[in-house]
Amino acid sequence: MEATNASIPPESDPDLAVGLALVRKARRIRLIETVKVGIVWLVLLALLTAGLLQLRISPQYAFQHAGFVLRGVGTTIGVSVVSILIASGLALFGALGRLSRNPIAQGVSGLYISVIRGTPLLIQVYFIYLGLPQIGQQLKELGYPQLAEIFTLGAIEAGILALSLNYGAYMTEIFRAGLQAVGHGQYEAAAALGMTRWQMLRRIILPQAIRIIIPDVGNQFIAMQKDSALVSIMGVWEITFRANRLARKDAKFIEMLLVAAIIYWILTVVSSWLQSRLEKRMAHAYER
Amino acid sequence: MPTNGEPIVRVQNLHKWFGLLHVLRGISLEIYPREVVVIIGRSGSGKSTFLRCLNLLEEPTSGRVEIDGVVVEAADGELLPESRARIRDLRLKTGMVFQEFNVFPHKTALENIIEAPMVVKGVPKEQAVEKGRELLRKVGLLDKQDVHPIRLSGGQKQRIAIARALAMEPNVMLFDEPTSALDPELIGEVLSVMKDLAMEGTTMIIVTHEMGFAHEVADRVIYMEGGMLVEEGPPDQIFTCPQDPRTRQFLARIIESGRLV
Repeated sequence: MEATNASIPPESDPDLAVGLALVRKARRIRLIETVKVGIVWLVLLALLTAGLLQLRISPQYAFQHAGFVLRGVGTTIGVSVVSILIASGLALFGALGRLSRNPIAQGVSGLYISVIRGTPLLIQVYFIYLGLPQIGQQLKELGYPQLAEIFTLGAIEAGILALSLNYGAYMTEIFRAGLQAVGHGQYEAAAALGMTRWQMLRRIILPQAIRIIIPDVGNQFIAMQKDSALVSIMGVWEITFRANRLARKDAKFIEMLLVAAIIYWILTVVSSWLQSRLEKRMAHAYER
Repeated sequence: MPTNGEPIVRVQNLHKWFGLLHVLRGISLEIYPREVVVIIGRSGSGKSTFLRCLNLLEEPTSGRVEIDGVVVEAADGELLPESRARIRDLRLKTGMVFQEFNVFPHKTALENIIEAPMVVKGVPKEQAVEKGRELLRKVGLLDKQDVHPIRLSGGQKQRIAIARALAMEPNVMLFDEPTSALDPELIGEVLSVMKDLAMEGTTMIIVTHEMGFAHEVADRVIYMEGGMLVEEGPPDQIFTCPQDPRTRQFLARIIESGRLV
């Protein structure tokens, strides 16, 4: 678009001049609207801050100790990124299972989704962290020490496992919808060319499905960053755990929870931005 | 009709049921190498289903399909176990062009064409690209090789789809109403590519409503109705003195609508 505008001077074509003026006007109106929304945000945040300052809280304490909480950002991001990757893998297999005609694949994926979606994440976290080692203990007594080791997970591993299993089940539906959203004609064209099911999936269907599901997976990733706070109950030194620790020690709950909340918020804003960049990049082949 | 030795396609007593609908009612047909066969008939007559049974995009309910020595057989609504393993072999013998093009939107024109040779046949990339560019030249789209389908017209997409199918060097090309989804002014460019293929001696089975094209290009025209082959013969015979009253009635309607040239 821009290139065409640059190559033809506007005065040479009256239609083009009118069109450009209209486009500029529409852009200006959009900008003004964005600015208005921004002003509303600022006013609301200012009111909120003013209100908070009426309370007996100490901003200095929050600023001084923000660094301690910030050192948990790496863990939070790490746990979330690893978990969303594993969850995506599980979701892909879950979706393929649901769409497959194989009774074993259908049964396994169906039960997995039903159980995970039917129980609270908190219980899943507890079960994996506290329940599995008990199973391991009993296996040891039964004479399987190697198996027992597998069942005894560290806090981070347990957290990643719980989040992956949980999100994998919910994301199965996203992946299923994505695979189904790729037109039937694409499957047929690939099949008619002699592709195996795996070649079809990897080369033709998945690349198109991924573009469709990126917004939903991004959404899940954003939600997971916050749900990863649950692993703090196992003593993983991520954002929530660190904030909570100081809050309890010095009875500065408002300060430290606000610090944690703001950090999560910033993470979300950055993730949303990255997501929109990724979406734009993947849209390349689909732009006229 | 050129009867060059043995038939390359042999269909015996093919039946297809969709639920309670008996769509194909015992079709038998032989097609010879370099032959161009055009199947005509009203919608719902089973022409597309028949074509799709030839490369197993639809599984026949019963009957036998043989293409260049690869046999797939079905009985009582199921493929015979050894036939199931041959589905891919059969598909490699055929190339298919769809009404809705079904080009891969995430790949450029050239990538659409080289994909299957590389992935399915393991052709090295340089070789696939060379062949792909040759095919693009043949369908008149060499200048579009790096363009994604969204920037192509329907006629251009269909020509890419034809090149994509040709890249696998199939023995038989199947065309399922290749111009039905096109704007009228784009039909000619696709038909012209198909005419070139026919001239080169490509074996083709074409389902189409383009009677003028059928008359000009076909070696044999088949009229289908109610899931059966009603009448077949050279185009001059079918279009000028059809024997079966059903064929006559169908063609009379086409002439009324002004589509028979």
